[in-house]
Amino acid sequence: MTAATTAKAAEAQAAASSDAPAVMRERRRSLSIPENFRPVVGAAVFFIVMMAIFVVASPRVFLDVGIFSAVFLSLPIFVILGLGLVFVTVAGESDLSFPSVVPLCGLAYSVTFEWLNFNFFASLVAALAVGVMCGWLNGLLVTRLGLSSLITTLGMNFALIGLTHVLNRGEIRIFSEFNDSRIRHAIVGSWGPIPSQMFWAAGIALVLGLIFHRHKYGIHAHIAGDNPEAGRAMGINIERTKTIAFVIVGVCSALAAVIAILLNSTYYATMGEGLLLPVLAGVFVGGTPVGGGRGTIGGLVIGAATVVFIQTGVVAIGLDGYYTSLGFGVVIVLSLLGHRRFSGRLTR
Amino acid sequence: MEPSEPICREPIVELTNINKSFGRVFALEGINLKLYAGEIVALVGDNGAGKSTLTKIISGIEKSDPGGRITIDQVEPRGWSAAKARGLGIETVHQSRALSEQQSIFDNVFMGRERTNALGFVKRKEEIAETEALLRRIGYTSKVWTPTSTVNKLSGGERQGVAIARAILFKSRLVLLDEPTTAMALSEVAEVMEFIVDLKRQGKSVIFISHNPWDAHAVADRFVVLDRGRIVHDGPKGDMSSDEFIRLLKDSARGKVQK
Repeated sequence: MTAATTAKAAEAQAAASSDAPAVMRERRRSLSIPENFRPVVGAAVFFIVMMAIFVVASPRVFLDVGIFSAVFLSLPIFVILGLGLVFVTVAGESDLSFPSVVPLCGLAYSVTFEWLNFNFFASLVAALAVGVMCGWLNGLLVTRLGLSSLITTLGMNFALIGLTHVLNRGEIRIFSEFNDSRIRHAIVGSWGPIPSQMFWAAGIALVLGLIFHRHKYGIHAHIAGDNPEAGRAMGINIERTKTIAFVIVGVCSALAAVIAILLNSTYYATMGEGLLLPVLAGVFVGGTPVGGGRGTIGGLVIGAATVVFIQTGVVAIGLDGYYTSLGFGVVIVLSLLGHRRFSGRLTR
Repeated sequence: MEPSEPICREPIVELTNINKSFGRVFALEGINLKLYAGEIVALVGDNGAGKSTLTKIISGIEKSDPGGRITIDQVEPRGWSAAKARGLGIETVHQSRALSEQQSIFDNVFMGRERTNALGFVKRKEEIAETEALLRRIGYTSKVWTPTSTVNKLSGGERQGVAIARAILFKSRLVLLDEPTTAMALSEVAEVMEFIVDLKRQGKSVIFISHNPWDAHAVADRFVVLDRGRIVHDGPKGDMSSDEFIRLLKDSARGKVQK
């Protein structure tokens, strides 16, 4: 009995000593920004510093409206795709298949558009249906068969782009007849100097942000990535929660595809190329860690802007395109270090 | 065997012939157990005796093998799951505490049972206010953290407090506590014990699993001893002293050697 008591006392002491620094750390933290906003503020500070460097390096380009119009054209697509990825990432999974889901949804949209004589809404529904199906299939493979999402969606990425090319047979579909329609103007026209798709992306980000941070589903997604066993013990259907996250990626891919096709008035099966790494970079630069359980929609928007400004900025300065990758590399590593220091936790 | 002082003769939960096997290994064999309102049952036994498995079956996380029956108020519910068990008033404080550590305290308290509006959006203010009141009621107050702090800030005892708060927030009738005092400081153990007695006072039934025979003896009304998946003793504490209880445990362990 004495042995047991001594052991307990030692345990208590150990617990007490390990608690003390935690409490102090908390006190120091409580003086500054609330934890939830930390990644957003971190991403914003990073973005501002980067822009300042750009402006100093090339004031002619970065103080001009032109660069902003260029960025605002493509930024919405990156934001919309990144939104879906934040859901999957917070739920503890990854999705690398979206660069192929985008052209497959685009194909569904384009084919329906041709068949139904430029019926936009029916075509949109077709694209969304394909997106939902791809996401659901990913979710099914990952949750029901217990496959690794990284590898499954990598495989799906290959399979779906193959399927797209097989079905499309190398065609480029041009929809210039639709250029003057009111629907196209509403979606990819412009309100003043700002392209309309910025407003659509902002709306989608707002809705998904509310779901992510305030809806029961968003909370379940956080728990699914943080401690799925705890969620199960409390009666949450973790499999369904994760599957819905994959479906959200599918829906976002469909929306991004439709906006891209309207913007260019053209469908080509290679439209998803070059999306994978910048979109992922936007998610992580925005302050959503890979591990699951935490994430931020506000940070994602800033992260996506960071990425698109590098992409557009490097070219606008007149540097060789290869500098884009160099820029991405530096920014990703620096931002991870920044988030880690700022959030006080390891951003793995 | 009847418990010492049943407040109500009808059991709240009754397990009949519950078996559970993992492959060829029998974790539980022929478990029959009746649980009554207002009693504290200490479920004791060695490592691997099946205590946690039994808890998981009662709380709906694990399914028992076909043939067994779980009845709640003499009614056998169709399908048995964690959500159903919680719906029928069986709350569990898991050994692992089942907390989502990167989420806030109030999200953890309401996990799986969020207060939402018709569209499914969480009523944050309401949840935060209730969590605060609840934590204060069970005596877990701190200047350092608030209901919106994340759980990974808390000490082991405080985390247990959150897990326990969750179990009493909803109208529970049976609370299962799986090793609630593991890795706790002594003062925290005393608090948990106090809390268990308090649950009984509220007329709730408690199953308390412990490695520590002194803790078990101190609060229980009835002892159920498990050994290698079987119930080897089920009887009231009566005037059994802690020494007698420990002898009983040793005897059941000796039985294990003879088998």
